[in-house]
Amino acid sequence: MVGLSIGEKHLYRIDPRPINVKTGVISQANGLARVRMGATDVIAECEGITAANCAATRQRKGFINVDCSPTAAPMFEVHFYICFLLICCFFTSAGRGGKELSAELWWLFNVPLFVSGAGIDLSSLVVVEGKICWDLYIDGLVVSSDGNLLDALGAAIKAALSDTGIPRVNVAAGASGDEQPEVDVSDEEFLQFDTSKVPVIVTLTKAGKQYIVDATSEEESQMSSAVSISVNRQGHICGLIKRGGAGLDPSIILDMVSVAKTVSEQLINTLDSQIAAAEAGEDES
Amino acid sequence: MEYVSPEGLRLDGRRPMEMRQIRGEIGVVDKADGSAVFEMGNTKVIAAVYGPREVQNRSQQMNDRALVRCEYTMANFSTGDRMRKPKGDRRSTEISLVIRQTMEACIMTHLMPRTQIDIFVQVLQADGGTRSACINAATLALSDAGIPMRDLVTSCSAGYLNSTPLLDLNYVEDSAGGADVTLGIMPKLDKVTLLQMDAKLPLDIFENVMQLAIEGCKAVATYIREVLLENTKQLEYRRGT
Repeated sequence: MVGLSIGEKHLYRIDPRPINVKTGVISQANGLARVRMGATDVIAECEGITAANCAATRQRKGFINVDCSPTAAPMFEVHFYICFLLICCFFTSAGRGGKELSAELWWLFNVPLFVSGAGIDLSSLVVVEGKICWDLYIDGLVVSSDGNLLDALGAAIKAALSDTGIPRVNVAAGASGDEQPEVDVSDEEFLQFDTSKVPVIVTLTKAGKQYIVDATSEEESQMSSAVSISVNRQGHICGLIKRGGAGLDPSIILDMVSVAKTVSEQLINTLDSQIAAAEAGEDES
Repeated sequence: MEYVSPEGLRLDGRRPMEMRQIRGEIGVVDKADGSAVFEMGNTKVIAAVYGPREVQNRSQQMNDRALVRCEYTMANFSTGDRMRKPKGDRRSTEISLVIRQTMEACIMTHLMPRTQIDIFVQVLQADGGTRSACINAATLALSDAGIPMRDLVTSCSAGYLNSTPLLDLNYVEDSAGGADVTLGIMPKLDKVTLLQMDAKLPLDIFENVMQLAIEGCKAVATYIREVLLENTKQLEYRRGT
């Protein structure tokens, strides 16, 4: 642990645990990815569902939902949530249920992915302008939790998006202005997303004077605060959340952001190669 | 619709008495005391066991035996259409209860008084037979956790369509409206711990279907025993003996 090791050479532990990405296929349209970082194991699935009456001004084009499986830890069971809130007001990351994780992920992913189109090409989601479009539903499941859930979920979402295919839709011609046109959803042809611009999440946890990347749950239990930053390939910050009760000096936050940018470069490269390998392996089998 | 072709092949190419491909693996959730993944065809289930540990809710503590709790959840993406509510709905509650009763029958609860054993089962992919896959996964997870049991509990389902008894129904065959018999047995002791059926069957046909399910359970038990033996061998190698 960071506090106990006096002879540490690095001021911060910036090597993340080895990541293992597997993309699985349930059906071709659903992108499913499973990411393992040490003992943390998460699954993300991305599915497109047609929605009617999509005005161009409609904000939400996607929904992110995370569930924590009780297999991850008994504290994720529903009826323990209340006692945990009382006991753990100072321990922010222990026993966080799915709702908190969903909210944080939403914060870090919503704008780049669903609003601004900086992450994925939103025009590929439109079927008939103003009438029918695809909604992206992203579901996450935490199977085993050993800290750093946000990073793992972020990686899994990126991998799942790469694996998702949007079915090609044929629109029946001759529909009048107000009617819902008839659509024929193809089972055969799919369009893949280009996910090179999707950001990844890097979480830095501060324990004492040092900060670490990719904390295990033991390390997270000792943290005073944590900053989760979503960074994309260009090195731009797409979202930022600070968690934890302790206050942080602004210069420290700026330093953390620059560390996150450095770490994210390596992380994006590792992730992209893992995703490519996973998909290549999947194509062969 | 024809579920068994005139040549005797089912929709997925199996013979009527043929089970789907099964695969089990131990030790997938590091934090749990015991865990396992079990796949029956496309149905994939993770089970995690936490315990024996101190009872969380004092009022439920039993002085002469262990408290066994079970929770069954399905992932949002486990079925073809996205599910809205992964747990708390009636079906999940019922299956949780069924799995708990089945496992409680085989765990030697009197050896661990005033403790609690939690069995959590998470369905990752559902293609019929989730109940059976959950029980098989729970058995593996309980063995991994080292919890004393009287015997393994294995489970398999069987049905009756197009006048043919079928072993190990998948989702399409299950929703066909024919009978679906789910059976759980303790193979060495030769005792039935779970028996459920929906739809109706004449009694003699029911006996045939049940016998078929018992055969299926015994086949699963042989496989599970192999997995456990292999796991023990690996543990021995790692220990260096």
